[in-house]
Amino acid sequence: MIENELRPSTETTEIQGSSFSDFEAPLFIAWQLNSACNLDCLHCCEEAGHSMPDELDSAEVMDFCRQIVELKIPYVAISGGEPLLHNDFLKISEFIRSHGISLKVETNGVLIDDEMARRFAELEFRSVQVSIDGATAESFEKLRIRGDWKKSIDACKRLIEAGVNTEIVFVPTKFNIHETADVIDMAHQMGVYGFYTGKIMRIGRAAQNWGILCPSEQEYERFFEVLKQKQDQYDGLMKVYYYPFDVIEELKYRLEHPSASLLVIPNGKAKLIGPLPFICGDLRQHSLAEIWQRYQDAWKQPQVIGFTKKVIEDAELLKEANKWVEL
Amino acid sequence: MELEKHVQVRQEKFGAVVFETLREKVFVGNETAAEIFRLHQEGKSPQQIVDELVQNYDADPATIKADVDEFMAGLITNGLAKTEDHA
Repeated sequence: MIENELRPSTETTEIQGSSFSDFEAPLFIAWQLNSACNLDCLHCCEEAGHSMPDELDSAEVMDFCRQIVELKIPYVAISGGEPLLHNDFLKISEFIRSHGISLKVETNGVLIDDEMARRFAELEFRSVQVSIDGATAESFEKLRIRGDWKKSIDACKRLIEAGVNTEIVFVPTKFNIHETADVIDMAHQMGVYGFYTGKIMRIGRAAQNWGILCPSEQEYERFFEVLKQKQDQYDGLMKVYYYPFDVIEELKYRLEHPSASLLVIPNGKAKLIGPLPFICGDLRQHSLAEIWQRYQDAWKQPQVIGFTKKVIEDAELLKEANKWVEL
Repeated sequence: MELEKHVQVRQEKFGAVVFETLREKVFVGNETAAEIFRLHQEGKSPQQIVDELVQNYDADPATIKADVDEFMAGLITNGLAKTEDHA
């Protein structure tokens, strides 16, 4: 999602910065803080639910935070599981924000009460993204097992009222794709800053439930028509962002153009990219700077290139995404 | 000039990277751009930035001023910064 848009330069010399390896450290860290979740969503990429037995402890997460600051990482996204279930979530958020780093939090919203919304506003997060996979409780709760549509909607309202930059994430499935336009309209009525969506990713529980979840080509065709129409309708009023490519197209692109980002999972291991099983570093063994170098090296390894090409040919292999392979 | 709220700047070997995290857009600049950012972050005014660049690069002041003005205008056009009036 990160792209070079423009080069504000006053010189005519050749400028670098178009390749991930030009950067001295990642530009973005996606941090899956924990694996525990209060829901059991059919389409969860992380297969979240229970905590991993070897998740980073309090001292280790704070050490990671200090490395994020030292390497001047500009932007961090914290997700889970459900990150608000993590005992150190606020401590981590306060630390990151106290150093001026942009922070996005991805949550199901269930635990956001008035006090939490007020605290989030004080911390001036870049945004809080709430998953709203339906315009009705019926479709939402069919997909988000143990979820409560009203609670998640109320969370959005609380955040907006408190002045938090609030975004909605919507994953299309057979259950809810027909409600896309309604969710976008609802988001705008609530005063949401941005609406994000894209094709469902065939990893984790979504891969296991692919047959009952994946929309048809015709449904996707209509989905993208609706998105284009809503993007035009809300131009300048609300950001309607959709990623038009599926995970295979993403992998084809990333094989040639790896992003300047790292994905860190709850036990401190760094994945090369969500849809691939490769682990390129471990915060218990390597510094963040070392992991960044290992990440760059990993994309050149024949094992990685070969397997990625196989996945591109056979999407069934995406089921292996969470069966980690240490490089 | 003031950077917009969610804009982050980091010095790099090649110059500087500017990350507009709200729109998730990345911009890169060369060493001169990095120098302008550094001086700006030190609290220097546009004229002080020009003066320092003139000294450092032994260049024509009018050309440097035009470059700095253009660079800053580019930041505003791209939603990365705002003038103090709009801060």
